[in-house]
Amino acid sequence: MEPSRGLSAPPGRALGAPIAGLALLAAGVVALPQLTRDSYYLDVATTILMNLALTMSLRLQVSTGQLNMAHISFMGIGAYASALLVTRVGISFWAALPIAAVVAALLAFPIGGLALRVTGPYYFLITFAFSEVVRLFFNNFFVDLFGGPLTFTTKLELYTLMAALLLVTAAVLVRLEHSRFGLVASAIRQGDLLAETLGVNVFRYKLTAYVVGSLVAGVAGAFFAHSHQVLHSSDFGLEPMVLLVVFTVIGGTGSVWGPVAGTVLMTIAGELLRELHHYESLVFGVVLILTMLWAPDGLVALPGKLARRRRVGVSLAP
Amino acid sequence: MSIDLLVQALLNGFGLAMVYVLVALGLTLIFSILEIINFAHGEFYMLGGYVTYYVFAVFGLNYFATLGFAILAVGLAGVVAERLIFRYLRGKTLNAFIVSLGLLWVMQASAQLSFGVLDKPVPSAFSGIVRAFGLVISVERLVVSLSAIVLIAALYLFLRWSRPGRAMRAMAQDADAAALQGVDIELVSALGFGIGCALAGGAGGLLAPVFAVSPAMGALPVVKAFIIIIIGGMGSLPGAVVGGLLLGSVEGLGSLFMGSAAVNVLGFLVVILVLLVRPRGLFGGA
Repeated sequence: MEPSRGLSAPPGRALGAPIAGLALLAAGVVALPQLTRDSYYLDVATTILMNLALTMSLRLQVSTGQLNMAHISFMGIGAYASALLVTRVGISFWAALPIAAVVAALLAFPIGGLALRVTGPYYFLITFAFSEVVRLFFNNFFVDLFGGPLTFTTKLELYTLMAALLLVTAAVLVRLEHSRFGLVASAIRQGDLLAETLGVNVFRYKLTAYVVGSLVAGVAGAFFAHSHQVLHSSDFGLEPMVLLVVFTVIGGTGSVWGPVAGTVLMTIAGELLRELHHYESLVFGVVLILTMLWAPDGLVALPGKLARRRRVGVSLAP
Repeated sequence: MSIDLLVQALLNGFGLAMVYVLVALGLTLIFSILEIINFAHGEFYMLGGYVTYYVFAVFGLNYFATLGFAILAVGLAGVVAERLIFRYLRGKTLNAFIVSLGLLWVMQASAQLSFGVLDKPVPSAFSGIVRAFGLVISVERLVVSLSAIVLIAALYLFLRWSRPGRAMRAMAQDADAAALQGVDIELVSALGFGIGCALAGGAGGLLAPVFAVSPAMGALPVVKAFIIIIIGGMGSLPGAVVGGLLLGSVEGLGSLFMGSAAVNVLGFLVVILVLLVRPRGLFGGA
């Protein structure tokens, strides 16, 4: 057996649950515009879908045990690449989208390759340093960059575009999770020394997760450039990055569906709290702290944990 | 270019760098004892700035007394944060890191709500300039740098000779072995976190008259502190001092040739160069 090669599903692993999950996600995405055409709801839903692409791909990287604080920078690289290709080179958005994603993935090789030489706290700080370099670079060379003329003009068209991009992304990421790659990633997360001694090329797996995650971030960035039209370096700074971390971690990084739960719930909560201004980040901060203290594995791990506790409770009852 | 100009640029760079070393020492002390990266460290610096604003600029206490008060008050806030939150996260670096992001939000939002979002100016405690050997430095900068150096020396003496300081170093080496030797881990953790925060608070108090006080003031020094400890090696106190001197000289010399935005990129380029050669920093362990 060659553990470091091949993406075929390991034998005996049920694919029913992930397919049901994807079907549910697709049904929700298709149903929303049937329920409402209100531009505010479509706008929020589009943002959720874009953030889902980002958090699900961030979680792919976390699934190998590493929290990449530069994830938002690859979204930025995709956004700036797409904007430059459309406005300076003059190609269409459809051609710019894949090129921007590939540019983000190609840059992920050297950056990921350098950062992944270290682990743990060193890794957060190094990726954070990279994200600041990238942000300062954008800030110095392109103050406010125009994202290009809109090919998709209505909110519904933008929603449909992002929905299509997300469903493809989600299908790929869920497939990856339930392949040999997902199994090895989870082995690495639980102890990369052990995985290494069993013959897994840990660095290659981590780099693959880094590059694939950055490719998805690049796609999200190209969409962002197209839909927001004006790019500013602070769109790719620490603040939006922290939001991605919050969404991903509160949902839970143990399952592909964790970031989905976290992103949807926290975005809706954020919209409801928007009236509160400064209290919004106060509430978010408190929720984040309490979640990490009481449910460090995230919301999706809670039902299983409660069930276990109840079972233990029954067995201990007189 | 004259030698004087170079020395002047280095001096300007070192002046502020000593204060950032103070912030970095707090960060690295907390990391070495608790294995926690406190991203909210800049918010303790901000707290020190506000204490200085209210006690010095509004109430009118003596500058050095205010500084002492800011150090104590922020240290106490650090002890509270450790007892309420971080003691449950000792050694859980990833979870603690995320919690500190939450704390950053809570502290920033609280500051915006209670102090307002606008900058508050703190008057200079010292005016005038000193000229010597063809160099010019403002008295204020001189006092700030010297106070930072005094605090760094005090920290060194505390960790080197005092009983709690030695307990901290023991815990940094091996918490279990320290506990077996009778070190009160809970007490040392709380004290270490408090002292780390107190250093940030002192730095905030020192720089409050140099820059204005605002809820977001912690972002710049904490980024500098992170650069310093990545260069020097996390958890290494001498590394933080050397990293600070290196960053100060690079930024000071860089400011002769380029604008302030480009100088900020320079610090990160030094980080990347150091990491290419030594991934764990100059003084980082194996």
